[in-house]
Amino acid sequence: MRPSPLDRKVLRDLWRMKWQALAIALLIACGVSVATMSFSAQRALAGAQARFYAETRFADAFAALTRAPLSIARELAAIDGVTAVDVRISESGLMDVPGLVRPATVRLISLPDDPSRALDRVRLAAGRMPDPGRTDEVVGLQSFLDAAQVRLGEKLTAVIRGRAATFIVVGAALSPEFVYVPAPESLMPDDAHQAVLWAPRPAVERAAGMTGAFDTAAVRIAPGASPKAVLQALDRILAPYGGRAAYLRSDQPSHRFLDAELKELSTSASILPPVFLLVAAALVHMVVSRLVETEREQIGLLKAFGYSDAAAASPYLRFALVVGLTGAVGGGLAGASLGAAIVDLYRQYFRFPMLEVRFHWSAFAAASAIAVAAAVAGSLLAVRRAVALSPAVAMQPPRPAAYCEGLLDRMVRGGGVDQATRMIVRQLERYPIRALLAAAGLAASLALLIGTQFLFDSIEAIIDQSYYRSQRWTEAVALQDPRDIAAVTDLARLPGVIAAEPTRIVSARFVNGAHEERTRIVGLAPAAVLDRPLDASDRPIPFEGDGIVLSEALAGRLGVRAGDSVFVEISDGRGPDALAHVTALARDYSGFSAYMERRALNRLMGEGDLVNGAQLLVRPDRRAAFYRAVERTPQIAGASSRDETVAAWRQAMTEAFRVTITFYVGFAGAIAFGVAYNVTRISLSERSRDLATLHVLGFGHWACAYILAGELVLLAIAAAPLGVVGGQLLAQGLVAAYSRDELRLPAEISLRSYGVALGAYLAAVGLGGVLVVRRVWGLDLVAVLKTRE
Amino acid sequence: MSVLSPAAAVSPAFDIRALTKVYQTDGGAVHALRGVDLQILEGETLVLLGPSGSGKSTLLNILGGLDRGTSGSARFHEFELTAASDRQLTEYRRASVGFIFQFFNLVPSLTARENVALITEVAHDPMSPEEALAQVGLAARMDHFPAQLSGGEQQRVAVARAIAKRPELLFCDEPTGSLDSESGVQVLQAITEVTRAAGATTMIVSHNSSIGEIADRVVRFRDGRIAGVARNPRKRAPSELSW
Repeated sequence: MRPSPLDRKVLRDLWRMKWQALAIALLIACGVSVATMSFSAQRALAGAQARFYAETRFADAFAALTRAPLSIARELAAIDGVTAVDVRISESGLMDVPGLVRPATVRLISLPDDPSRALDRVRLAAGRMPDPGRTDEVVGLQSFLDAAQVRLGEKLTAVIRGRAATFIVVGAALSPEFVYVPAPESLMPDDAHQAVLWAPRPAVERAAGMTGAFDTAAVRIAPGASPKAVLQALDRILAPYGGRAAYLRSDQPSHRFLDAELKELSTSASILPPVFLLVAAALVHMVVSRLVETEREQIGLLKAFGYSDAAAASPYLRFALVVGLTGAVGGGLAGASLGAAIVDLYRQYFRFPMLEVRFHWSAFAAASAIAVAAAVAGSLLAVRRAVALSPAVAMQPPRPAAYCEGLLDRMVRGGGVDQATRMIVRQLERYPIRALLAAAGLAASLALLIGTQFLFDSIEAIIDQSYYRSQRWTEAVALQDPRDIAAVTDLARLPGVIAAEPTRIVSARFVNGAHEERTRIVGLAPAAVLDRPLDASDRPIPFEGDGIVLSEALAGRLGVRAGDSVFVEISDGRGPDALAHVTALARDYSGFSAYMERRALNRLMGEGDLVNGAQLLVRPDRRAAFYRAVERTPQIAGASSRDETVAAWRQAMTEAFRVTITFYVGFAGAIAFGVAYNVTRISLSERSRDLATLHVLGFGHWACAYILAGELVLLAIAAAPLGVVGGQLLAQGLVAAYSRDELRLPAEISLRSYGVALGAYLAAVGLGGVLVVRRVWGLDLVAVLKTRE
Repeated sequence: MSVLSPAAAVSPAFDIRALTKVYQTDGGAVHALRGVDLQILEGETLVLLGPSGSGKSTLLNILGGLDRGTSGSARFHEFELTAASDRQLTEYRRASVGFIFQFFNLVPSLTARENVALITEVAHDPMSPEEALAQVGLAARMDHFPAQLSGGEQQRVAVARAIAKRPELLFCDEPTGSLDSESGVQVLQAITEVTRAAGATTMIVSHNSSIGEIADRVVRFRDGRIAGVARNPRKRAPSELSW
């Protein structure tokens, strides 16, 4: 079938305007790809999560306690709404790992006697399960084995409850409890120092001295049962055994982090694509408007020949349709590979047996439909006016475009403005809607650049505040059990220690009316210098009597202010309940913190002056000796290092954000480029005759280029303040969207970020402009002058 | 005395020898000029007549510095146009040439005064835009935009724009082609009056043979060659013309 003349017109228009069409299609592709990528990645994660949880029977609620006889498990199973119970021994200690300076924190967990009925099963990824008859075989968490470069068959010695025990690693395993393993201090992954080993119960019983007992419980809750009632029953039954407050899956660290990631993907899928599609629709509108303007006579002619309005309009609508579809297909392809890239990144953080990205067809289809509709809507607005003209009017040659003096014009009249500048200003005034749309598009691009660059600043601000101004220790150690304050003297004598400050840390539940939150209270020395809560102005907050200092985030969650009182349930040991007076709020950026003066905390606990950790200042050149000594000190159960924590932070956040930010910068650049290219290209099409005339009359190429580029330069300058404000708003929006309980990003934007963003913005705008402006050097003087516009 | 080489007492502005212009197109070579020899005197008014495609506009474009010859020579005083760079041609147009086009080519976003100022701002020794517009009878319409002027008025703005820089050369390509007879006469009147005052060498390309009557010499073109050159025994004033 031969294509109709109108079909051929569409094809030729597309060919002639291919770069403009591609620049718009690029924006549509960006929008569609973000939606497709986010939904594909989200489905991959959510699917892997659901399958893994089902396969391993991940529990719904968890409880930790000091020690209870195994017979108590039957009481737990009898709780109304509980369908399955699993009790285990889970003991922490330190472990020397060859090749690491700082000992790893190890959790030794007992394997169930009957795996078929167990909850939170481990899934073997390599090697074999330990022989139930032996007490020296373990399977290790795969992420730890990989990061610490521990091979199967290797021996590891852990110090648990002061006793050394050596195990042979016979297998690598995955666990639903440890899909993501945050380090306790930073909440960032630190896989090499976060060891988890599973061994048959007799081996763990022996290592922990827990024969016939358990210290963790996990339960499944029947659908429809009240989780809150189950938690209360767990707490009630386990209280005599040193039970700490039971919690639901939503508070389980690994699950909580994974869930936050899934929410983030939804956020980026819903914030970004609309921006791209709106800018693309605006550009289609501008380009088709110009096309229709130059082809007014042709439209009139078609109508005079008897074509219907719809038929006369159809080439322009089809033009938009093709641009929209091209963008959608490109976006689908890009989305598929971006989705694969981001899932690849997730594989480093989230340990699932299978994490396969599958193309999200319905998200792609929906995003494409919206994109095409946006493009067609943009062109429809432009075509409607031309089609509404009667053929006779449409066929008349248009009079010279009617210009008049505008407001801007009157402002510059007195100031010795040359005629070229006047032409630029009047062009903007002649097409105010177009100028507004273009400026809005450029501003959106700059906003996206500024609003995303800030993420890096935010991370640096958090690191600075947390690890250098508020906490100033270089190493921190946790003791196996609370000890007398005199224990600190021993710690201060460890090699390389310059200063040591004792801490008492206890878990607690804060309740204010309907609000409650589980966290820990850090008891500090009265005049602590290595760790001190800071107020909003960065001043250290002094402790007042038995009062408590809450972080702003915790206070916000609980709905309390300085001067209020809050109900505190200590969930460590036989901790009492009490009403604490909130004396001040501290500003920090991660977790929910509460601070008390150590002796006040101990008074609250009804105990003597006990400590269960210390914060130390260690000479950098003595770190290795320090950690060797720590390994030989049985009462130390955990150690963390500021430098390593900060490095892990930087690495994890930089990696995570680098991908996101590369997307954003690329996309923002695409917007700026697309707008700049199209605005200048349209301007060239309107002006080529003027410019050729000026060139004939003796204006040099640069003078002509100035007139053509001036419009874009003015728009880019006018859009810049809008973009800066938009960037600040976007940063605040992203702060709200990306902040989690464990990490609250401050909306701080550094001068460097403004500089980088402006640089990228100008580069993209400049490229779009230059590609068009260079055509001034190729203007066909004779042809342009011989034809009427 | 040949009409091709006028009296030696007046020096020639242009000396054109064996000038050709060949355009390469998809359909083969198109010979727009097939060897033109012509001398044009300073202050002379020439009208180039001929059918479409006969080469008259091509010659005007080459002499105006808009295009280059393929072979031969076209000299403006000592300046060889066929060998000049783009930059030299731009400077030549800026310094020496005034143009008037069939379709006026005014900048629609500038008023009449500003359209003229566009040129006076970059010229060496221009008259003021007001003076130029007064010379073409548009003193009262100086602050109108092109869209607010009639076709004849727009073309007279173009004349004012062309002569405001006091050019040595004035090239007019079908200056009345888009105008009715009455407006066309007004425009020709403006052209002849201002060129007489300035003493500019003027070349007018036209389809309209009656315009030949205002010239010193009429050059007829056919098939890329000069078919004949005739000296007008008596130049008529534009007001005596009608078509």
